[in-house]
Amino acid sequence: MNTIKITINDTVYDIAINTTILEACKEVGIEVLTICHLEGVSNVGACRLCLVEVEGINKLLPACTTKVAANMVIRTQTEKIKKYQRITTELFFAERNHVCSVCVANGKCELQKLGYKVGMDHIRYPYLFPSCEVDTSHAWFVLDHNRCIMCTRCVRTCAEIEGAFNWDVMNRGNQVRIISDFNTPWGQSTTCTSCGKCLHACPTGAIWPKAIVQGQLEKKPEILKELVEKRKMNL
Amino acid sequence: MDNTDKKRILISPVTRIEGHAKITIQLNDNGKVENALFHVNEFRGFEKFCEGRMYTEMPIITPRICGICPISHSIASVKACEMIQGIQPTYTGNLLRRLIHLGQNISSHALSFFHLSAPDFLLGYDSDPAVRNILGLAASHKEIAVGGIRLRKFGQEISERITGKKIHISGIAPGGMAYPLTEENRLALLAWIPEALHTVQMGIEIIKKFQEENEEMIASFATSPTLYLGMVGKHGEHEIYDGNLRFIDADGTILQDQLNPAKYLDFIAERSVEWSYLKYPYYKPLGFEKGIYRVGPLARLNVASAMKTPKAQAEFEAFKKINNGKPVHGTFYYHYARLIETLSSVEEAEIILNDSEITSNKIQTHGRWNNSEGIGCSEAPRGTLFHHYITDETGKLTKVNLLIATGQNNPSMNRSITDVAKQYINGNNIQEGMLNRVESAIRCYDPCLSCSTHAMGQMPLVIEFINSEGALINTIERL
Ligand code: SF4
Ligand code: SF4
Ligand code: FES
Repeated sequence: MNTIKITINDTVYDIAINTTILEACKEVGIEVLTICHLEGVSNVGACRLCLVEVEGINKLLPACTTKVAANMVIRTQTEKIKKYQRITTELFFAERNHVCSVCVANGKCELQKLGYKVGMDHIRYPYLFPSCEVDTSHAWFVLDHNRCIMCTRCVRTCAEIEGAFNWDVMNRGNQVRIISDFNTPWGQSTTCTSCGKCLHACPTGAIWPKAIVQGQLEKKPEILKELVEKRKMNL
Repeated sequence: MDNTDKKRILISPVTRIEGHAKITIQLNDNGKVENALFHVNEFRGFEKFCEGRMYTEMPIITPRICGICPISHSIASVKACEMIQGIQPTYTGNLLRRLIHLGQNISSHALSFFHLSAPDFLLGYDSDPAVRNILGLAASHKEIAVGGIRLRKFGQEISERITGKKIHISGIAPGGMAYPLTEENRLALLAWIPEALHTVQMGIEIIKKFQEENEEMIASFATSPTLYLGMVGKHGEHEIYDGNLRFIDADGTILQDQLNPAKYLDFIAERSVEWSYLKYPYYKPLGFEKGIYRVGPLARLNVASAMKTPKAQAEFEAFKKINNGKPVHGTFYYHYARLIETLSSVEEAEIILNDSEITSNKIQTHGRWNNSEGIGCSEAPRGTLFHHYITDETGKLTKVNLLIATGQNNPSMNRSITDVAKQYINGNNIQEGMLNRVESAIRCYDPCLSCSTHAMGQMPLVIEFINSEGALINTIERL
């Protein structure tokens, strides 16, 4: 295997070429915060939580979409990075309506865990309190836009793993929304196979099964990667 | 009536009730009390913002209305959900819910009696407000204060040992419960029973002694007769978890019995009034004025034909003698009623904990949306509670109606305060002890006004004298 030398947080490592910074960090046991990244689907660099500092480049780079290069000097734990992670997390909460205490995902939510991780004890930005749809039209699942953080994990999972292409994104800025088909209620989708993979992909309480109450939510994002790997083995 | 020269006394906030409230006492030009109103201004638009959500979220959303009776909301809510789904809970799931509900009843009643009211009885209404609380009680009556605190803990531990959480628990689900009870936790809860019984009995001794020593005051303390509404079992026995409803009149005659709670709109109507965000419910067949009814511990004991457990039954018989078998109207007897209910809750908890099915894993049945309407009812510590949901065909809520106990008691609470105020307040010359009695008339109902729980007498009391033009003419502050 072709490897190159890179430095992460002052230690030099041999890393295979074509590896992303995120993969490299994982390989050597350095934690990088992520939320739009999902094992088993492609990376899009949407959430900007995985930003790292690379010497010689004066902007922060997303670890999930940036490949390592020879002699790269990377820092993952600087004050600047921590500051941005906290800002990003606060903005997720300020942008839509998150009321964890009554949320089906309470205690099982990646966004909530992120809040704890970055030490978010309050939110410094004004809440936008947008009026968001709760799409209950599907027989088994709910999509609550109040809790969607636009990570697009559902979109990529539906397209890349299930191959159904039910989900997409419309609008820009804070009007951006996940849509089903051409913006029809999910229950009327002609492409959705009701497989439920998007439910497992979704890091928050935005997609959840109707049949459960708080405390009963089980999301297993790891099964998506397993699926992908099992398919590879069959080939 | 001419409004000039009338003065209004504002007592705000009432200390040691759960939430934040204000009382206005209207005086006429002779300085005599004309009317008293209890303002409730914190019912927080719950019904409106639940609309548009999935009905299955309600068992988690609605408990946030109140930090003391969250479980009653969960119970009423899951029952409404079960009606929507057309399912029944499993035997064990139902039993676990009943047990958690009893636990809440124990801890809520313990809070009301030992933390909020016992200081009045043991230290005196006119004692220094700074020590007239559970800490003051701990200094002078340690066994009682500690017992009360631990009794509350026992009630909360029931939820904790089943669901992992003390207050805002999860796991009460349509079809039953999400978590089972382990044998270890069952035994740990059973071990509490003797101590809990002892503490309640201690409370009963305190209240009985106080009742004996203050017969005159109690006999004249807010005794307006009203109708009563409460849940009963199949044979008319006392019931707080699951049953039908009974209305009695002020003489104890049963007006209607074994009413299906799902038909509540046939017998209860609601009306809004300008001074309060709470709705004014009344017994429909008799109309707004005559149809004032009370709910809660006193009402439940008045409507019940018997208690389900032996120790509580013995106390119930003593209670029934107070008014020779007729309903007991004296608002003061809420305290006694509450303690009898606490006793029965502890006894019933013991019976349930000894049920051979209580640790079974068959805890939940599952369903899906089948009906667009669901109504659930439970007896919260403070009285009968109704949840009424209407959904579209996807399960999204289009209308929510919550009829809470404090709302149903509100009309009669005003009547009680007016009674007490008329007796104790005379002109501007208002003394500490008198105002406390107005407050304490309210405290008898143990109203919950928001989810903030003020177990301690920390809130300052401000009394404002306002003349008929609305100008502030005097202020008394109690720290
Ligand atoms: S999705 Fe997560 S962060 Fe948002 S309300 Fe639910 S638990 Fe909280
Ligand atoms: S629905 Fe969930 S997975 Fe999809 S974009 Fe929103 S938060 Fe991400
Ligand atoms: S995880 Fe890299 S940008 Fe979201």
